[in-house]
Amino acid sequence: MNLENRKRELAKEFSPLLEKTTKTSKIWIGFLIAVILVGVYAFFLQLFKGHIVTGMRDNVVWGIYIINFIFFVCLSYSGAFISGILHFFKTPWKNSISRIVEIITVLSLIIGPIFILLCIGRLDRLHYLFLYPRIQSPITWDIIAIMTDLIGCFIYLFLTFIPDFAILRDNSENAPKWRQKVYKFLAIGYQDTPEQREKLHKVTRTMSAMVIALAIVAYSVLAWIFSLTLQPGWNSSIFAPYFIVAGLYSGVGVIIIAMYLIRKYYNLEHYIRKVHFIGAGIILLVISLLFGYFTFSEYFSRWFSHKIQDANLLNTLFTRYFWMFIFANYIGVLVPIVILFFKKFRTIKSITFAAVIAVVGLWFNKYLIIVPTLETPYLPIQDTRPEFIHYTATWVEWALSFAGVAAFILFFILIMKLVPIIPMSGIIDNERDQKKNKKVYKKIVTE
Amino acid sequence: MLNLEIMKSNLLKYTFITSFIITLLFSTNGVAQELDASNYKIRFNLKTVKQSDNSRLLEVIFFGQNKKDRKDKVPVFDAEIKFYNDDTLLGTSKTSNEGIAQITVPENQTYIKDKDGYITFKAVFEGSDGLDEEDDDVSIKDLHLELNLEEIDSIKTVIVKAFTLDSLGVKIPVEEADIIISVEAMLSKMKLEEGTIEDGEFEFEFPTDIPGDANGDLIVYSIIEDHDDFGNVIQKKSENWGNFQNQIVKEENKLWSEAAPIWMYIVLTILLVGVWANYVYTARYLFKIKKEGKQLEVNTEKTN
Repeated sequence: MNLENRKRELAKEFSPLLEKTTKTSKIWIGFLIAVILVGVYAFFLQLFKGHIVTGMRDNVVWGIYIINFIFFVCLSYSGAFISGILHFFKTPWKNSISRIVEIITVLSLIIGPIFILLCIGRLDRLHYLFLYPRIQSPITWDIIAIMTDLIGCFIYLFLTFIPDFAILRDNSENAPKWRQKVYKFLAIGYQDTPEQREKLHKVTRTMSAMVIALAIVAYSVLAWIFSLTLQPGWNSSIFAPYFIVAGLYSGVGVIIIAMYLIRKYYNLEHYIRKVHFIGAGIILLVISLLFGYFTFSEYFSRWFSHKIQDANLLNTLFTRYFWMFIFANYIGVLVPIVILFFKKFRTIKSITFAAVIAVVGLWFNKYLIIVPTLETPYLPIQDTRPEFIHYTATWVEWALSFAGVAAFILFFILIMKLVPIIPMSGIIDNERDQKKNKKVYKKIVTE
Repeated sequence: MLNLEIMKSNLLKYTFITSFIITLLFSTNGVAQELDASNYKIRFNLKTVKQSDNSRLLEVIFFGQNKKDRKDKVPVFDAEIKFYNDDTLLGTSKTSNEGIAQITVPENQTYIKDKDGYITFKAVFEGSDGLDEEDDDVSIKDLHLELNLEEIDSIKTVIVKAFTLDSLGVKIPVEEADIIISVEAMLSKMKLEEGTIEDGEFEFEFPTDIPGDANGDLIVYSIIEDHDDFGNVIQKKSENWGNFQNQIVKEENKLWSEAAPIWMYIVLTILLVGVWANYVYTARYLFKIKKEGKQLEVNTEKTN
């Protein structure tokens, strides 16, 4: 079949995803916007009244904002890591999920740092971070790492989008003018000539290796924000690899959930198949075993050494946070392992369920790393009000957290309106490779 | 009665555990190894130590050593030991749990000497129902050790003089004897030098890197050990020769300084240059692609 015809055919196949908006999706988008607006209201409330409207006080200076920050940033790094590996090693089934992973990577890297801004009591002094940076400070490293990573991820995402923008530019005669202009601008004159294709493949491959390295560095820097302090529960030498494993765990979990939702609501059963879920499920199984091992190792060494502050921390975890601890570190690890270990349990729904448990468990895991440590400082807290000792998130914090999640989903939907969630260029590349292989095979046979 | 019945039935029920406990009882109490004195060779050794205050310690170690297993030593405790100088009783002492009996003879004790100047000490155990009589003796000359700690031309020097006294009180230098110089350490004596006294004198340059106690004081020992003619002789002296300094190490956390350590700048620069060079490289290729695209567009327009 002619290549141009095939491109046209694919553009036609995916155009309903880009152009048509159903009533349900309109309601859904409206709901997401409403959640974001509530978050915006909460933000202004916090901006004008200060952090008093949150649960954060003198001792517990970090709450669910920082947990969301770590969660989203970890999600992004793991997305970059997985996407880089998929591209770099030319994984055969990458095409169906690579774009999901790439979008998750960039969106979470945009949403995540917003939460760290919400933690800052004096936003009017934010520019001091750039005016007076201290190279010695892990916070500075993190700012540098996040910004460099963000730019890298944007470039990488753009590289993977270019061939699809080109296909859409050439095959969207019926689309609105603004859309045609956007495609033309973003396609940067890409005509899919062998020279252009080779150049693009070359830089995409280099960038895929780069984002893997960047993800590891940025992940480690994020973990060092905690582990380079002397706080009980944070001062750990395995925190950097632990964060990497935890990030991958949540990342793979969110990818599976996204795959399930996109497959279901966009009827992409033909492209996102059970084999993709099983593949991702097995990766989740391996990472859950690793994550469980790291978690056990981390808490076991604290319990065994029995330093006073560590003992106080563990006591808090096993009393005040008992159920959260059980959910995060037992249910959140063991349930996915049980589901994914046995072949007969590996259905699309059960794998997605395991992913949901893993993601929720991991959010709680992060909560347990941050809040209980701040509640059990080296100097005992005395003669103070209970809300200064124990942290409870207020509606403002929850509103902003849900607004972050809503923004993430909304942007995801909007990006899916701009480019197909299944890379068309990838499908064409696959078909081209198959033809090439057939030719080579025929040649070998005739010889 | 009811309890006994229950116990009995429980014992029968857990036959394995019961039999194991009975075995243990028999193995620990019933078949205890019997001590038979004929298996042991009795050791009874007398030792004399002239101490730094010129008093003399007489010590007996009294134990049985297994003939087959020489490591198996059983101390004889609570045995009365009599210490003599010739026939003069110097004192009595009972052996401790470790089989050691000691007496300290004061400096002013006058000893009976033979014509060559040797003093003979004797320790006697008079025997009991189970053990035979034991005795041991040593003959030594009364050695005088003089320990001087002097700074000669700013060099801290340990000078040891060793001599005996004849009947007229004239000092006769020791011809040759091995000597050990030590300092008092936290748990035991730390050996600094092993040497030989020649013509009654030994000199040793004291090291300059020994801290001493918190005041810089240290105790120096000169020791003659198990000498055939003199037995054990110890002399000690304290001197402020230690170089202990209560150093207040000012901990300088480099991360609180104005500028970061140089390696941080280097690592960060390498990382950032590496990454950004790659971004620039990618951007360059994207411009190339754009240029080629434009060229293609122009060519297509021309052909049309």
